[in-house]
Amino acid sequence: MKETHVAGIIGLVSVMAVIGFWEFASDHRIVSPALLPPPSSVARALVTLIADGEIWQQLLHTVALFLGSYLIACTLGIAIGIWMGCSEFANGLLEPLVESLRPIPKSALVPALFLFLGIGPLTMVTVVVFAATFPVLINAYQGVRGLDPVLSDTARTFGCSRWRTIRSVVLPATLPAIFTGMKIALSLGIVLAVIAEMLAGQSGLGFIILDTQRAFQTDQMYAWVVVLAAFGAACSLLFDRIEKLAIPWHGR
Amino acid sequence: MAARVSLRNIRKVFDDGSGEPLVAIDGISLDAAQGEFLAIVGPSGCGKSTLLKIIAGLIEPTAGAVEENGRRVSGPPERFVYLFQQYSRSLFAWRTVLANVMFPLEQVKGAKRTDIRETSRRLIAQVGLAGFEDKYPWQLSGGMQQRIAIARALAANPDVLLLDEPFSAVDALTRMELQTLVLELCRQNKFTAILVTHDVEEAVFMADRVAVLTQRPTRIAEIVPIELARPRNQLSTRENPRFLELRHHLMTALLGDMAEAAR
Repeated sequence: MKETHVAGIIGLVSVMAVIGFWEFASDHRIVSPALLPPPSSVARALVTLIADGEIWQQLLHTVALFLGSYLIACTLGIAIGIWMGCSEFANGLLEPLVESLRPIPKSALVPALFLFLGIGPLTMVTVVVFAATFPVLINAYQGVRGLDPVLSDTARTFGCSRWRTIRSVVLPATLPAIFTGMKIALSLGIVLAVIAEMLAGQSGLGFIILDTQRAFQTDQMYAWVVVLAAFGAACSLLFDRIEKLAIPWHGR
Repeated sequence: MAARVSLRNIRKVFDDGSGEPLVAIDGISLDAAQGEFLAIVGPSGCGKSTLLKIIAGLIEPTAGAVEENGRRVSGPPERFVYLFQQYSRSLFAWRTVLANVMFPLEQVKGAKRTDIRETSRRLIAQVGLAGFEDKYPWQLSGGMQQRIAIARALAANPDVLLLDEPFSAVDALTRMELQTLVLELCRQNKFTAILVTHDVEEAVFMADRVAVLTQRPTRIAEIVPIELARPRNQLSTRENPRFLELRHHLMTALLGDMAEAAR
């Protein structure tokens, strides 16, 4: 208990020190305040964003893009991953495809998607879905492959149909692995959503960060980065809560 | 008496393609009569569990056949249930005690939810877990977990129990309680039971007949009838001179086999 206290204090001190140094460097023109405005003006810009409500407008766009794409990706990843894990046919059919698409950084596909889907929401959703599906898919697949043989034997001795075995035994038993994949997909999905907004968006956090930079409103730009960081942290916290509720037996 | 379960010259050879094929089971024929409690003992690694998994339809024999009521079976027979040694891995961690026991009943066509719940509660009470319905398996002790597995097995409406060292992972006192519980359930329901164990005393205590297996390649060394009176009692049965004689006889057979293998 005491040690975590000490660690917490040290952590806080190091953050304060960095912010303090940043303020100092900016005030004394070690770096140009035009490029790196002092934290105090970033904070002022942030307060203004919250006060006039613009933060919600931009946040809403990013949340909608990210959450919609993320849910599609999780559904696809779980369905395809479990199908590949349970069926030799599906595995033979899809494994070469999955393995050849997986290593491609999905952001590299954005220009190609522009050609086919245009510069707009369809491209943005596609790229986020594409990126976030793979970790879920791979983990679901490996979860099924690593299924405890005692569990599958149990289902067989009870004469479970194939569909019931998948729905009532394989899927719940694989949930911990699926959550691991969904956690990776979460951070990957946010990154790709922001990149998509920068490249093809008319609004949203990614768009506004690039937009304020181009307008040289650097204090606002940094304020939006802070908003983005807070959004990521909130997603992560929420995810951990949901995970604990969904798989309480995990780690026992 | 008609044999409920028959093994007809079962052979199992493991051949992974590298080197010599391993003959695990080398021709075993064995009958379990309707309502009989049959125990199978043997040195560790002799393929007892493999044999039981073949009876359960979980593993295909290389040659020979399993018959129930004289008919050859393929795949897990409907009224057989299997109690695993690794009960904690066999239970569904994501389901409560009640939901675990409900599992086999849920796939009965046309069964009503309220009836399923009612039956499950009755079975849970029967194995002595009333009051723990809403707990999760991992919140309970090992002995209690095996009781859940027993209640869940009963829910499948079996008439043949396949017991794969089901009490070997619990402490000595709990083991005795579970042995008595299973014997009582067999008596009430007239189950046929096949128990695989390395514990000779357990085999003598529970069974009507004990089949002794040899080292690999595994055959039947002998079959010993256990004519001890039922219901068996953890104290008086175990102190019965006949119990000790039978135990002595079986231990000698097993130890002799091991000594031979060492030579």
